[in-house]
Amino acid sequence: MIAVIVAVSVVAAAGTAAAQGGDAGAGKAVYDLKCAGCHGEKGDGKGPAAELLEPRPRDFTTGVYKVRSTATKVPTDQDLFRVITEGMPGTSMPPWAVLPEKDRWNLVAYLKRFAPEKREEAPKRVELPREVASSAESIKRGREMYEAIECNKCHGDQGRADGPSRAELKDDWGHPIRPANLTKPWSFRGGASRTDIARRIAVGVLGTPMPSFIDSVEKPEDVWHLTNYILSLSPGAPRYATLVTVTSVAGAIPDDPDAALWKRIAPSHIPLMGQVIVDPRNFNPSIDLVAVRAVYNDREIAFHLTWDDPTESTGDGTRAFPDAISLQFPPRPSGGAERPYFLMGDASEGVYLLRWESGKGVGEATAHGPTKLAPLAGAEATGRAVFAAGQYRLVMKRPLASKDAARTEFRPGVFTPVAFQAWDGGAGEAGPKMSLTSWYYLRLEEPESSRRFVLPPVVAILTLAAMLLVVRVAQMRS
Amino acid sequence: MRKMLAVFVTLALIAGVAVFAYRPAPAGAQGGGTIEAAVTYGGAPVVEKLKVNKDTKQCGTEAVLEKVVVGANKGLANAVVSVAGAKGPARAAKAEIDQQGCKFVPRVVAMMPGAIDIKNSDGILHNIHTYSTANASINKAQPKFKKVMTEKFDKPEFVKLTCDVHSWMLGWIAVMPNPFFGVTDAKGTTRIENVPPGKYTLEVWHETLGKQTKDVEVKAGQTARVAVEMKK
Repeated sequence: MIAVIVAVSVVAAAGTAAAQGGDAGAGKAVYDLKCAGCHGEKGDGKGPAAELLEPRPRDFTTGVYKVRSTATKVPTDQDLFRVITEGMPGTSMPPWAVLPEKDRWNLVAYLKRFAPEKREEAPKRVELPREVASSAESIKRGREMYEAIECNKCHGDQGRADGPSRAELKDDWGHPIRPANLTKPWSFRGGASRTDIARRIAVGVLGTPMPSFIDSVEKPEDVWHLTNYILSLSPGAPRYATLVTVTSVAGAIPDDPDAALWKRIAPSHIPLMGQVIVDPRNFNPSIDLVAVRAVYNDREIAFHLTWDDPTESTGDGTRAFPDAISLQFPPRPSGGAERPYFLMGDASEGVYLLRWESGKGVGEATAHGPTKLAPLAGAEATGRAVFAAGQYRLVMKRPLASKDAARTEFRPGVFTPVAFQAWDGGAGEAGPKMSLTSWYYLRLEEPESSRRFVLPPVVAILTLAAMLLVVRVAQMRS
Repeated sequence: MRKMLAVFVTLALIAGVAVFAYRPAPAGAQGGGTIEAAVTYGGAPVVEKLKVNKDTKQCGTEAVLEKVVVGANKGLANAVVSVAGAKGPARAAKAEIDQQGCKFVPRVVAMMPGAIDIKNSDGILHNIHTYSTANASINKAQPKFKKVMTEKFDKPEFVKLTCDVHSWMLGWIAVMPNPFFGVTDAKGTTRIENVPPGKYTLEVWHETLGKQTKDVEVKAGQTARVAVEMKK
C-alpha cells in the first residue's frame, strides 16, 4: 500500500544537449559498419551472426530495451548511449567506448529511427527511494525480502541462478533465457553499481521474465536492502590469476571440500570460454569461472575447485550428461615454453588429466585430443565432491611423484603448465562441447623451512656485534 | 432580492446535480433483446499435462494446460462472444481474475476498457506478464503478500496473460469496446442480455481457434439463438 503511494514518482528525463545533437544519418554509416553484423541492416536483430548468439542480438524494431532507467517502456537516450559505451557484460555485446563519443550519440539517434512509433511516449525516469547504505542490518532485511518475494524461484536460494523455474524461462520472443547469477555482479547486463542493481529490481528487465518490483516490495526502500543483500553474495571482483600458487602445508590434507584448511587459502579465479574450435562447438558455455585453491605436503598435491552449475547431473545419456571437470598437465613439464596443444593435446603429444566426473568420482586419464581420452589404470588419485545450492566444491588429491611416464610429477619451484576444462552435463555438455582455458601456470611454493626464522636474527645480532666492535675500537683510539 | 437569488442558485444547483446524476437507462433495459450463443467445435480437445517441480502444495504435482476445452455436445468453453457495433453504457462491476492453483481463474475474462483486479489467492510469487500491442504490456511481480493488484487496460484488445515463475499459466483478458459480451461456459453457451434491437455481427474469439462471425438480429423482448461452429 505504502509502496503504491510513495514509490514511483516519476519525473520527465531531460535529454542532454549531446543527445539532441545526435545525427541519425551519420549514425547509419557507423551502424552499417559496426552493428549490422549482429543486429541486421534493418535493425531486426537478424544479422549474419545472430544465429550463433545467446542471448540474441536486440531487435531494434520492437523498441524494447532490456536496460532502462525509466518507469516507462521507452529508455532514455542516456540509457542507450550507456549500453553502447559499456556493452552488456555476459553477452556478445562489447563496449564501444573505442568509438568517438559523437559517433555513439549518432548511433543513439539512428537506433531510435527503427521504432519511431514506439517512442511517442516520452521516457520518464524512475525515481528510486532514498538510498540505504549497506549494513549487517540492511543485508539481513534484504535476505528476508529475497525470501518473501521469492527471488529464489529463478535466481536460486544462494543467488546462483539455479532456481526451480530456471529451465522454463523464455524471453518475449520465445527464446530460452537464463536468470542472472547474483554472485557474479560483473556479469550483470545493466551494470553492477548499487544504483544499477536497485533500478533493475525496481523496473525489471523489459522483454524478459524479470518483472518490476517497485510496487511489489513491502516498503519502497526494500529495493535498497535487496541491493545490499545481492552485493553481499559476491566476492566483489574476481581474483583473476595466470599463476596458481600451490601452498606448502604440514600434515595431512583433508578430503572434505568444506574443511577449515580450504577457507584459509585465497582462491585464484580462472575464467573459462566455450570450446569453438572443433565440432560440436559450445557457443554458450554454462561454466564460466572456476575458483582454484591448491596445497601440497611432503607426499601429496591437492586441488580444491569451486564452480557454479545450476543442476547436479549424472546424465540420462540422451540430453543430459554427467557433470565433469579436469585439470590438464603436460606429462613431462620441460619448464620451457614448449607445451602440448592446449585443446587436450594432439596425436603427436598427449596430456595428462586429473579428472572428476559425477557418478564416477576422481580419476586420471591421458588424452591425445578432445575425443581421445584413455583412463589410466591403477588410479592414484582420490577426492570428494559436494554439490549444494547450484555450486560444486571438489577436492582432488594425488601423490607428488610418479614412476609412470604418463603421469605428471610435481616439484617445488618448477613452473608447471596447467589448463582447465569443465562440463555442465545438465546443459547437454559432453565431449568436445565444454568450457575450457588455454595454458596457465602452477607453481609449488618452496617448502616452509625454519631457516627464514633463524637466519635474519642471526644476521641482525652479528651486525649489531660488529657495530659495537667498531664503536669500541673507535673509542679506544680516541 | 438576495433571498430570491439564494433560493434560485440552490435550486439551480440541485437541478444541475439531479441532471448530472440522472443516467438514462440502457436502451436495452426496457426494449432490449437477448442473445443466446452456443459455440461448438468438432475437433478434439487439447489438454496437456506437465509435471510440476515447485510449489506443489499450491499447484499440485501436475499442471493441466487447457488449450481447447470441449464439453458435452461439442460445446466449446472459454470462447468470447461479442456484439460488434452495439452501443451501451459501461458495466458496473469491476472485472476480476484470480491466480488459484497456479491457474488463471477464469482462464478467459472479458471486460470493458478500464481497471481489473488481479488476485493472488495462491499466496506464492506470481508475476503478471502481459503480451499486448494496443495497451502497454506489463511485467510486475506479485509476491505472496500482494493479494490484489489493479491494472488498467484502456484499449480494446485480447491481452495474453502469463506467469514466468509457472510457465504453464496462461490466461486472457478480453478488453471489449461495448458491454455486450460473454464468455462461454463448460457447455459452450453464454447469454448476452439487454442488447438494443437491431442487426449486428456476432463475433466469437477463441485463443487457439481464432475468430468466427455470424449475423444476428435482435428484437425487443425476444431471445435470438445463435449457433456458431469454430473451425481450426
